[in-house]
Amino acid sequence: MIKSIKSYFLKPVHLAPLAVFRMAFGVLMLASVIRFMAKGWVYDMYIRPKLFFPYYGFEWIKPLEGNTMYIVFAVMALAALFIALGLFFRVSAITFFLLFTYVELIDKTNYLNHYYFISIASLLLIFLPAHRYFSLDVLRNKNLFATHTPNYFILTIKFQVFVVYFFAGLAKVNADWLLHAQPLKIWLPAHSEMPIIGQLLTKEWVAYFFSWFGCIYDLAIPFLLFTPRFVKPAYFFVIVFHLATSLLFNIGMFPYIMITLTTIFFTEKFHIQIIEKIRSIFSKNNLDETQLFFTPKKNAFNLFIIFFVFHFTIQLLMPFRYLLYDGNLFWTEQGYRFSWRVMLMEKAGTAFFYVREKNTGKEIEVSNCDYLTPMQEKMMATQPDMLINYAHFLKQEFKQKGIVKDPEVVVESYVTLNGKASRLIVDKSIDLSLEEDNLKSKKWIIPNDK
Amino acid sequence: MRKIALIIIVFLFAGLLVDCKKKKTTEEEELEISFDKSGMLANYSDNVIAPNFQLAKQALDSFALAYNDFIQNKTVSNLVVARQKFSRAYHQYQLISIYEFGPSENEIIRASFDTYPTDTVQILSNINTGSYNLALASNIDAKGLPALDYLLYGKNISDASVVTLFDTDVNAANRIAYFNACLSEMQTKLNSVINAWNSGYKNSFNSNTGSEIGSSLGLLVNQLNYEVDLMKNAKIGIPLGKKSLGVQLPEKCEAYYANTISISLTKTCLATIENVYLGRSITGADGLGLDDYLDALDAQHNSGSLNNAIKNQFAVAKFKLALVNEPLSNAVINDMATVDAAYVEMVKLLVLLKTDMPSAMGIVITYQDGDGD
Repeated sequence: MIKSIKSYFLKPVHLAPLAVFRMAFGVLMLASVIRFMAKGWVYDMYIRPKLFFPYYGFEWIKPLEGNTMYIVFAVMALAALFIALGLFFRVSAITFFLLFTYVELIDKTNYLNHYYFISIASLLLIFLPAHRYFSLDVLRNKNLFATHTPNYFILTIKFQVFVVYFFAGLAKVNADWLLHAQPLKIWLPAHSEMPIIGQLLTKEWVAYFFSWFGCIYDLAIPFLLFTPRFVKPAYFFVIVFHLATSLLFNIGMFPYIMITLTTIFFTEKFHIQIIEKIRSIFSKNNLDETQLFFTPKKNAFNLFIIFFVFHFTIQLLMPFRYLLYDGNLFWTEQGYRFSWRVMLMEKAGTAFFYVREKNTGKEIEVSNCDYLTPMQEKMMATQPDMLINYAHFLKQEFKQKGIVKDPEVVVESYVTLNGKASRLIVDKSIDLSLEEDNLKSKKWIIPNDK
Repeated sequence: MRKIALIIIVFLFAGLLVDCKKKKTTEEEELEISFDKSGMLANYSDNVIAPNFQLAKQALDSFALAYNDFIQNKTVSNLVVARQKFSRAYHQYQLISIYEFGPSENEIIRASFDTYPTDTVQILSNINTGSYNLALASNIDAKGLPALDYLLYGKNISDASVVTLFDTDVNAANRIAYFNACLSEMQTKLNSVINAWNSGYKNSFNSNTGSEIGSSLGLLVNQLNYEVDLMKNAKIGIPLGKKSLGVQLPEKCEAYYANTISISLTKTCLATIENVYLGRSITGADGLGLDDYLDALDAQHNSGSLNNAIKNQFAVAKFKLALVNEPLSNAVINDMATVDAAYVEMVKLLVLLKTDMPSAMGIVITYQDGDGD
């Protein structure tokens, strides 16, 4: 048993899948970064805001001054291109990972699971020998060249994809999703005007069907992809599923990223053919390769194993950390992020903040739009840790400007979750500016079942 | 691996079958939302938006005529008539300020027509120098209806003195010219908006039937909320001292210099918001609107329907507002509790319209584009 597991991890496999993955990832990231810049989001998300919502423990991460942020994105695009070309691969992968993650850590308003996935994928890429085959680095330095590596390098990517799907599926196993078809019962009828399928989307059974299909898909697909016999039919569902989500939801590049990157599960032959096709564009000569097995030195191997075990332990534990907190996960969002909970809830809120003079009890109702972008205001209203961040900011702001000498900050935020009537999420008697944003359970959140 | 996958699939499908069976026995009829979204948009553009723009235009044009009569013959009685027409134009503007998307957004109608409190120092300086460009951002609070409000009434001066300012005052000619400039800017903008609706925008509005950011429904719901927000804050909240530690700021009332129509304008604004919600035309005919859409979606709110909750809240807000007496500048000081009661109901209305309604419709309340996941 142990022997067969060991040989499964160590058996030589062709590098072509990893090389294709590298190129696909690079090209997709290049496109994503260019799209992001072209949509004006660098300005909207990183230059325009007057304040940013930091992640706990990363409060020291700040955006660069003004237009310098464009340089960050330009370098990120260049790094993505270099990853695709396999040029200065390791440096490019490190650069991309650091810049991308830096940008994501600036403001949790912009948190998306798919950004988290990209951070992780680029982190993993740093450790993989994806540049040893069909890359410019090989042209620069023939010693790098190899055709085969131990299986565990490719398995790293496959396991990560497995984690994403499986936990996304597990997260769907809840009463709202399966028994009430929420939030799809809200989201699907919004598309009633679509040609052909529009009317279908308004039917209740369709919301149930999509909910159950989505759940089964997410839970089953990683297993099916790992089974060579089922890869082809599974990939058919990958395409159907992600195209459907792309059609129905405003989720940008993510479906295309997943459709492209899951090809890592295809056979070596498939990837070798792709590479031959690309090669034939540049050169008429068929390359006759001699097989060359790359295996890392002992120290590098040990380091990789430590990283591998550490990384996947965290990946497997993170989605369960919500169990340590009180209350309904969707309502409190304690332990919600970094857990592959994708498109799970329809949540919206309106937050009225009041800055109050402690001595007199007189108060000012804050105009959130004076300080926040529409996106920040929308996200802040429903996420308790962001309510605290904003309360701290307001206290500072009103004190500094001398408008209020000794400010207390209270909030009335009305939140609706999956079609239920909006209700207060925070006790209005609590001075939020005195609460700390930390990992402890937030006792001042009013439970949604009381 | 294969076995685990198989077990999970079988398990889940079994669950699905059980679930279906349970549904069939407990629920007799299959729920289905049949709603004519493009019919709703057509009702809005044909029966609600277009006629209201016409009303606003007629009122503004007839005010311009009365003002010209006054300039031809500068008497107190002509001034009074011009003021009456002005009040009418100000009220009818409330019928259209809600549609700040498409053509109105291009013409910046809201900010150009109704930025208050008006900057009297800037107005007088513009009149003195006789050279100004109303299109500049620096003049945004020295033009529009609030500027005309100031020029037609002045601050604490007699009607005869106002007439003098237009007649024999050294700056009378400049004042008349400035008044004309402000007035004709509004007329031009309003005509442009109406033309744009008639020549193409109506079609694109009617055919943009989605629910995403930038769809007609998305624009309408977002601007409806913006209008409620504006009503709550600018019309009532700020004069009441909600943004100034409870210190009342009567001079920040809308139509402060006329000082008799602030509440009335707010009532018209609230009624307009309700009419838009209901899809009600100027004749009172109740066509397909957001209320019908919510009912079609079977949106619930606690034990009743969300539509009923919203309609009730409109009724309560209107009732509380009706208890406030003109002038608002006086009420915020001497009858604070009554004004505050109306304010509180507007806040509740805002929550329902901004949080519950869009959420039930799957509409994003934001004026900013972005990805979700």
